[in-house]
Amino acid sequence: MSRYTLATSIFNRFTGLGLSLGLLLLVYWLTAVASGAQAQARATHLLSLPVAKLVYAALIIGYCYHFVAGIRHLVWDTGRGLERAQSQRSAWLVVLVSIVLMLVLGWCAFAGAHAP
Amino acid sequence: MAEFRLPANSRPVKGITHPAPPGVREARTVRIYRFSPDSGENPRIDTFTLDTKSCGPMVLDALIQIKAVTDSTLTFRRSCREGICGSCAMNINGINRLACTTHMHDLKGDVRIYPLPHMPVVKDLVPDLTTFYAQYASVKPWLQATTPPPPDSERLQSKEEEERIDRPAACILCACCSTACPSYWWNSDRFLGPAALLAAYRWIIDSRDEATGERLDALEDPFRLYRCHTIMNCTDVCPKDLNPARAIAEIKKMLVERQG
Repeated sequence: MSRYTLATSIFNRFTGLGLSLGLLLLVYWLTAVASGAQAQARATHLLSLPVAKLVYAALIIGYCYHFVAGIRHLVWDTGRGLERAQSQRSAWLVVLVSIVLMLVLGWCAFAGAHAP
Repeated sequence: MAEFRLPANSRPVKGITHPAPPGVREARTVRIYRFSPDSGENPRIDTFTLDTKSCGPMVLDALIQIKAVTDSTLTFRRSCREGICGSCAMNINGINRLACTTHMHDLKGDVRIYPLPHMPVVKDLVPDLTTFYAQYASVKPWLQATTPPPPDSERLQSKEEEERIDRPAACILCACCSTACPSYWWNSDRFLGPAALLAAYRWIIDSRDEATGERLDALEDPFRLYRCHTIMNCTDVCPKDLNPARAIAEIKKMLVERQG
């Protein structure tokens, strides 16, 4: 038994849970924007604190992984890739592709923001 | 419901360490889960020392040796000793497998033997499989046809038709797959589990069976079928190299396709 598919499955669950919690941040931001200039200013301050960047990094990791793993699930739903060896290969593929995606999105979010 | 810890009265405690038999040439430590329903005590992990030189190569040989030489109260199921009856399924070094087809050499470190996970324990390594068998029975694992068979022959199948059911029909109902499935651990009262669903699939795709619609109706349920989240532990552990995960995915596909 390899446990690769087990690991990718439980990580998909955890990232899904994390993203649902992260959505609350977006709700807070939108509510603040809709509630007037003072609330918006406070939200902008809170959401641009350094600690918030950690949260964004976690959300980017969670989003990229969950997105790629979700595509794998869609492929499975068509009945493909369900052999033992295939599912183990696709577990690695999901991890690799999502890491690439994380780096790209992370660059856009953090390094890209400072570009002129 | 998700459970992350065993109930307080099911947590194993340190057990007895049996002394090595005299004249051991090649010692191997075997730790075995022990539970007696009559004692009222928590399960315990007993430690045995085995002489692998005087014992057969498989984990089942070790269990038989320990029962014969060291502790005759050790309780486990076994029958065919060649991977065809499915009786000796247990959790060995963290993985559900058949004791009779698991080579001691393939296990690293001490040999750790537990009953199949998340099942009520009858005694020692014997799990209560009542629900598991009831779930198997619930998929009506027999041929259903209203058309009478030809008067002068059996219901014949082409080679291709037989090949479709050949692998799924090789299931020995050892319960390794179902008891390796987190969805089954947490919803075994309502989720049928990979073994029963593989059996259902085997009859759904049988060219001679005429109850395909009814069989699919019975599975179209948020719990019975759709608690499968393609974790794939079932396919990973199957000692017969079968693929319950694919069978379940195929059933899901058929349910979508028949909607047109």
